[in-house]
Amino acid sequence: MSAPPPDRRRQLALLSALGRRFGAFVLTLLGAALLAQVLLWSAPGDAADLLAGDPELRAALVVEMGLDRPPHVAWWAFVTHALGGDLGRSLTYRPGMAVLELVQPAALRSLVLVVGALVVSLLVGTALAYVTAGRRSLGRRLLQAVSIAPVFLMAWVLVVGLNEWAFELMLQDRIVRPSWFALPDQESLLKWALAIGVLAVGSSAVTEVHSACEDELKAIRRSGYVDAARARGARLWPHVLWNLVPPLTTIASSRAAFFVGGLVVVEKVLHLNGVGAMLWQACRLRDVPLALGITFVAAAVVCGARLLADVLRVTVDPRLRTQT
Amino acid sequence: MSTHAGPRLLILALAVSFALPATGGSLRYAEDQAPGIVNPVFTTTMSEARVNELIFDGLYTDNQELASEPALVSSTTVDDDRSGMTLNLRSDVYWHDGTPFTADDVVFTVDAMKNEESLSTEAGRVSWIDAAEALDSATVRLTFVQPELRPEDKLYFKILPKHKFEGTALKRSDPFRSRPLGTGPYKLDRYNDDNSITFTAYEDFRSSTGISELVMREVSDKNYQAKLLLYESLEALVRVLPRDLAVLQNNRKVELYPYQTNSWWYVGFNQVRAPFDDPAVRQAISSLVDIDALLAPIGTGEVLSGPFVKSSPYYNHKVEPWTYDDMQASSLLETAGWVREADTWTKDGEVLTLVLTAHQSVESSQEVVINLQSQLEAGGVKVDVEFLDEAAWKARIWRERNFDVILSQWSFDRNEDVYEQLHSNGSRNFGSYANESVDELLDRARTTTDPYEKKAALRKVHELAHDDAPMVFLWTLDSYAALSTKVSNVVIHPFYFFTYVREWRMK
Repeated sequence: MSAPPPDRRRQLALLSALGRRFGAFVLTLLGAALLAQVLLWSAPGDAADLLAGDPELRAALVVEMGLDRPPHVAWWAFVTHALGGDLGRSLTYRPGMAVLELVQPAALRSLVLVVGALVVSLLVGTALAYVTAGRRSLGRRLLQAVSIAPVFLMAWVLVVGLNEWAFELMLQDRIVRPSWFALPDQESLLKWALAIGVLAVGSSAVTEVHSACEDELKAIRRSGYVDAARARGARLWPHVLWNLVPPLTTIASSRAAFFVGGLVVVEKVLHLNGVGAMLWQACRLRDVPLALGITFVAAAVVCGARLLADVLRVTVDPRLRTQT
Repeated sequence: MSTHAGPRLLILALAVSFALPATGGSLRYAEDQAPGIVNPVFTTTMSEARVNELIFDGLYTDNQELASEPALVSSTTVDDDRSGMTLNLRSDVYWHDGTPFTADDVVFTVDAMKNEESLSTEAGRVSWIDAAEALDSATVRLTFVQPELRPEDKLYFKILPKHKFEGTALKRSDPFRSRPLGTGPYKLDRYNDDNSITFTAYEDFRSSTGISELVMREVSDKNYQAKLLLYESLEALVRVLPRDLAVLQNNRKVELYPYQTNSWWYVGFNQVRAPFDDPAVRQAISSLVDIDALLAPIGTGEVLSGPFVKSSPYYNHKVEPWTYDDMQASSLLETAGWVREADTWTKDGEVLTLVLTAHQSVESSQEVVINLQSQLEAGGVKVDVEFLDEAAWKARIWRERNFDVILSQWSFDRNEDVYEQLHSNGSRNFGSYANESVDELLDRARTTTDPYEKKAALRKVHELAHDDAPMVFLWTLDSYAALSTKVSNVVIHPFYFFTYVREWRMK
């Protein structure tokens, strides 16, 4: 019996690798939901405690809300329904409302923040690296210093600083009331821009993109094909950018989880009412189905981003296909 | 080029400037958290109670002197033996969808709240009613479980529209929770993406409403609410934090409105846990607390000696609050067998130690806890501190009663019934206080139809509770609401806040 041809072997290996990734994707979803379930179960107090002081009423609410089930039973019931598209119903945040209905609009708002922060990180980090690669730069040090600040502090300083600054100028009649005033209560583009900026810088994504791009650019600039292109008088940046795609894709997918984590703080400080702020409320109100639903969706987004990044890297870099 | 040109350009670039739009009859107020549910049968938070006040009516309400006055009723007749009453309903009341309000709605509400399947958190408000019956579309007959002294004082629970429900077994998840229908001065217009809620004036309300729109803004950071009022992003703050009083007082666009609440702070002992089962230890700890020094950093108020506010008819003015007296504390502890060794009190090798637990969201509680810890440690009591969130608090303190000492507060509506807090069978008696005389007096206060007997009984309860020291009664804080000077004719209800909102006006 003859072995399959090399192309066929590569295709099988690629499919096998994708299958493994997909398996990991499903396991991560199950694991994330399990972790959230265990954490909420071990936290003192539950949704019934919040609603009823009377022991009899509490006991009845525990049964009605399904809080009498052991955590592994509740988790299994959640995942079996979730895989069918039903994330359950909120207990305390918006009692009786479908979790999916609550999460969808909030997730869209959060997605704008995450995608915005990714784009800003990639653009700013790459542009800065193009300028600073191989040189001493004050900009690099400044960026590193700012990135150390916690997301909460950065957002809070910006909100308070901008408000106080504008308020002072308004009191002096030097400006009329800006449309964004007062942050974060007033809905405005500036609020969203601040949130995206804080998420990009505060979660160190810009710094990481910048550092990775600098290293890659140094290597690319020393490579033979760049010398050859330069000798022929061809434009360099298309080659350089194409070669930056694999490392940038890896960074972007790895930062997605950090962005999702940062959402809780950024959305709370800037009143953006996305899934981060909703998760915080769900935990505070011991709304287990809502917290599990958000965790499940967030894990799906992060794992989906990683899966997409893998596909993109394999598409862009032929070496990876042969390695696979 | 002037030296200010750079900043000005930056300002122009950043600030897409518009003139401040006139609010024109719209009032924005702040809540820490938006109500999860708008259904008076399932109310659990004050933000929900305030929204109920906008949308729904009770049979009775409070006038500005806080005495009961008819709201949905035109007249009532209480039986001579006070075992029941007949209510004649107003004929000019309509639900927000135009349906006439009838006796069936009243009977339905009572039955729904009493129905055990409803799992109503407000069932206690109608537990004194044995039965409700509609005699005709405008007349309701109520019979009581036992004779009632002033039944109208208990008839301010909100009435629900029968035609919006299918049976009296209500569910928290019923869509009514987000699409409520009332007879009150405001209709819930919409939930907004930022968790705010917009209410519009009900055009067919039986009297004119001065403000056409109210918006409840969710501002979870209490420290930021006063800032938003100064920035004119809000027109009303329900309660001002003491530290914000000075800055708001000095602002010409803000007016402060003081109001008296039936709310008092206390330090409660777990009396089934040693050594707090010993009255001498509780009294000694009470003598180590300098209440004035605890109160000063967080605001102003009145120091109390018992479980009523000073304006209450049940407050016993002959009883003096515990005052700081370390000699008395030492004497009490020595009598109880404790020995002072170096900086601590010990008994049978055990150091006098307690864990002081507080609710993390009670404003100013952190300052009080830290200062109280310092005072008690100076008196030789070792104190550890912990803060719990709402769910953990209710599980640990309310349900499990697993604590040494708590710092907390109780708020009451006009019925200052401390039965649940001090009776040995009381559902809120978390410290397990038990005194047969107090039980008997509280039972008598609940059942008597003689107002003088009730007053005498509760004043005696005050005295006994002070002496037994199940709690160190601390103070009632002076409360202030803050409103923009654009709002006029403001009168605030100390508990429900919006009771008189229809009379408010916007300039």
